[in-house]
Amino acid sequence: MDMYTQAAWLVPLFPLAAFLLLTALGRGFRKAGALIGSAGALAAFVLSLLIVVERLGEGAVDYNNAIDWIAIGDYTLRIGFEVTNLTAMMLVVVTLVSFLVNLYSAGYMKNDERITVFYGYVSLFTFSMLGLVLSDNLLSLYIFWELVGVCSFLLVGFWYTKPKARAAAKKAFIVTRIGDAGLLLGILLLFWYMPDHALDFTTIQSVFDGQSGAITTGITTLIALLIFLGAIGKSGQFPLHVWLPDAMEGPTPISALIHAATMVAAGVFLIARTYDIFQDSAAAMETVAYVGGFTAIFAATVALAQNDIKRILAYSTVSQLGYMMMALGLGSLTGGVFHLFTHAFFKALLFLGAGSVIHAVHTQNIHEMGGLASKMRVTAWTFAVGALALSGIPPFSGFWSKDMILTAAIETNPLLFVVGLAAAFCTALYMARLFFLVFMGKPGSASADAHEAPAVMTAPLVVLAVLAAAAGFVETPWNGWFGSWLSGEAEAAHGSGVAIVASIAVGLLGLYVGWLIYGKGGVSRKAAAERAPWLVKLLENGYYADELYAAVIVKPIRTIGSVLMVVDEYIIGGLVRLAGIATAYAGRTAARLQNGQVQTYGLAAAIGFVVLVAAIVGRRFWP
Amino acid sequence: MFNIDFTGEFAAFFVFSAIMICGAVLMISLEKVVHMVVSMAAVFLGLAGMFVLLEAEFVAFVQVLIYAGAVSILMIFGIMMTKHQGAEREKAKPLHEALAAIGALCLFGVLFYAIRSTTFPEPAPFQAGEDNTMAIGELLYTGYVVPFELLSVLLTVAFIGAIVLAKKEAD
Amino acid sequence: MLPSYLTMAAILFCIGLYGALAKRNAVIVLLSLELMLNAVNLNLIAFSKYGVVPSLTGQIFSLFTITVAAAEAAIGVAILIALFRMRGTVNVDEFDKMRR
Repeated sequence: MDMYTQAAWLVPLFPLAAFLLLTALGRGFRKAGALIGSAGALAAFVLSLLIVVERLGEGAVDYNNAIDWIAIGDYTLRIGFEVTNLTAMMLVVVTLVSFLVNLYSAGYMKNDERITVFYGYVSLFTFSMLGLVLSDNLLSLYIFWELVGVCSFLLVGFWYTKPKARAAAKKAFIVTRIGDAGLLLGILLLFWYMPDHALDFTTIQSVFDGQSGAITTGITTLIALLIFLGAIGKSGQFPLHVWLPDAMEGPTPISALIHAATMVAAGVFLIARTYDIFQDSAAAMETVAYVGGFTAIFAATVALAQNDIKRILAYSTVSQLGYMMMALGLGSLTGGVFHLFTHAFFKALLFLGAGSVIHAVHTQNIHEMGGLASKMRVTAWTFAVGALALSGIPPFSGFWSKDMILTAAIETNPLLFVVGLAAAFCTALYMARLFFLVFMGKPGSASADAHEAPAVMTAPLVVLAVLAAAAGFVETPWNGWFGSWLSGEAEAAHGSGVAIVASIAVGLLGLYVGWLIYGKGGVSRKAAAERAPWLVKLLENGYYADELYAAVIVKPIRTIGSVLMVVDEYIIGGLVRLAGIATAYAGRTAARLQNGQVQTYGLAAAIGFVVLVAAIVGRRFWP
Repeated sequence: MFNIDFTGEFAAFFVFSAIMICGAVLMISLEKVVHMVVSMAAVFLGLAGMFVLLEAEFVAFVQVLIYAGAVSILMIFGIMMTKHQGAEREKAKPLHEALAAIGALCLFGVLFYAIRSTTFPEPAPFQAGEDNTMAIGELLYTGYVVPFELLSVLLTVAFIGAIVLAKKEAD
Repeated sequence: MLPSYLTMAAILFCIGLYGALAKRNAVIVLLSLELMLNAVNLNLIAFSKYGVVPSLTGQIFSLFTITVAAAEAAIGVAILIALFRMRGTVNVDEFDKMRR
């Protein structure tokens, strides 16, 4: 019956095989690169789809299969895979987006010299992400967690001849490592306190769900916060969000795949996977909710003032991830995961659309664009769908998921409800600004000879647009199918009139204000800049987070580093040099002893023997 | 320390040791190489006498035959075949010589100290056998037959090796 | 009586050592080596009579030593002749080919 589910371990192996094949082939096979990469992702996607279809029926049970990995004394570490409805959904999202991005890259990266390497990295990333999703225990999840980090590093720095790309890759790696260290500590703590040192999710669930009291609340909170630290790093939550906008230096398909749809969602996925731990600790839940809410409004305001099309989308991603975190923190697992699901589609769509635009106009500055709608019809229409979905306008998918989160907020935490509404307003506003500046109005300086992208790039846009428009209907206020499928229990009908009305009103208001300023021109664009230039500056620079970190963290560490460098150079290095000089001198002296004369050697041996015997005899006279 | 009771053995020991030390010192200090070898022969003979004192008549006999005879003659042959000017050309290497002397002296000091500070237990009476030669022969062909045979192999190898080494390259 | 013999052997050994280390003529060096071996023989024989358990074993061993020493002397002189043929000297100082 669950034949495909049992074969789920094959899913990551397709991209892995593609990666190995591409690595083995080398750079020569440019055409084969796209073909192999796409084929691997397609095969994985088909199998994932079969798994989900298989599990749609009633009573699909979680499937878990593991083998002994390492046996240390009595303790046995098992490694395996687990298919739940959550992981099945993630499988489909990851493989679908990955396949579409593979397809899209065939056009976008066509003229790149290292396209084969690019496809290799993408396949490796897909493999790692699928491994992360399928992992049945925290340890293997952590391994894949680091692997996706490495792939992100490789792909952000893919154009490593650009200094900015190099810096961004390093920054992405180092900043996420801070979170990873937290996650590792959390896993170690869990390992220490869990009965039998079990790390698999099934046991974690039973231990924390059963209120067995095996682990005290304080420890639970600590573990949950450490795991959340990992999620903060990976999902670009405040205060570790700074790497995500910079990561836009990578190729745009990568931004769509890794930094919008999949990897950055891994943090949300991780919390969803270990949700039982968080549910045991009210403090941890609140932290997650407030960090998420703050990030949502924080990043949304920053996105208002950015001028780079990809950076706007990046801050938007940070903001939406904050939304998901907020939902999880408010106790709405379904809301968070649902938003993750819809967001993957419309944000990938927006990034790919942005890529199409960049491909056409060769700039990322939105003020140089304009009037592209008539020249790039498919891109414009699909982008519009994505923008509407992101702004939360019904009936597009973003509305349903955002509404669900807001409903959860209004029931439990009015403050966060207001924050969510404000963020939603900002979201609609910056999306309207983006859309009108890029696609409407007078043609900008760079949009003169723009033309539509080839079909291989627009086809993924259309597919994603359809999904972005329709994916929301799996879960609506009157139909809780997705939630009950995900959690396995019938979820009470939710939906709050206030939330629906407020969310629609805020979204429309944002779009209207955006249209007024950037579309119709009824309000001067310069109004804000003239009245409060400091505010615009503040937002443009992302609240000076980078500068703050540079002053507070990087500078002192660098100072310590230079002090230590002096210590290393003159004290440790001096000692090393001294040892070297002494050895060389001793060597020269000893070389003179090596004069080839047997008698000298014999003399040395004799004197040595006498000294040795004298030393042994002399001990008698020593006290 | 030197509680000497003046016995016949001691008198003989004294004579022999005087001969040997004189021979050895002369060997070190003489100018001509042939003289050195001759003084060395004196040492070998003195040693043979000492072996007799120690009731090792067969070994003393062998000592005279092999050392005082064969080895000394061999050395003289060696000297002749290497065409010495007869005297050693001294090259000044005072530090080396001084160090060697100091080393040898120190070694002697250590050994002397060890010998003098050890109390040797009173030995059991020595059974040299009525016929020392026969006793040794019996022991050689019973308990030590394997080393004995190995030694014969060694001698053969040395014999062949010496011929191979010393023969002219051209042959 | 034993210490006297041992002291005698020590004197011979040290003179031999000095000769082997300080003399330049290779023949004399070989002779000095023989002297050292003789000193050892004297020890063996002395212990064979005055040792804790006197036995003939010491004498047997000294016989072996004499045999080995004879073989060594033969080989030594042969090497000496070969060296002399190649280098034209028997001065130990000049046999320094192993240098470096």
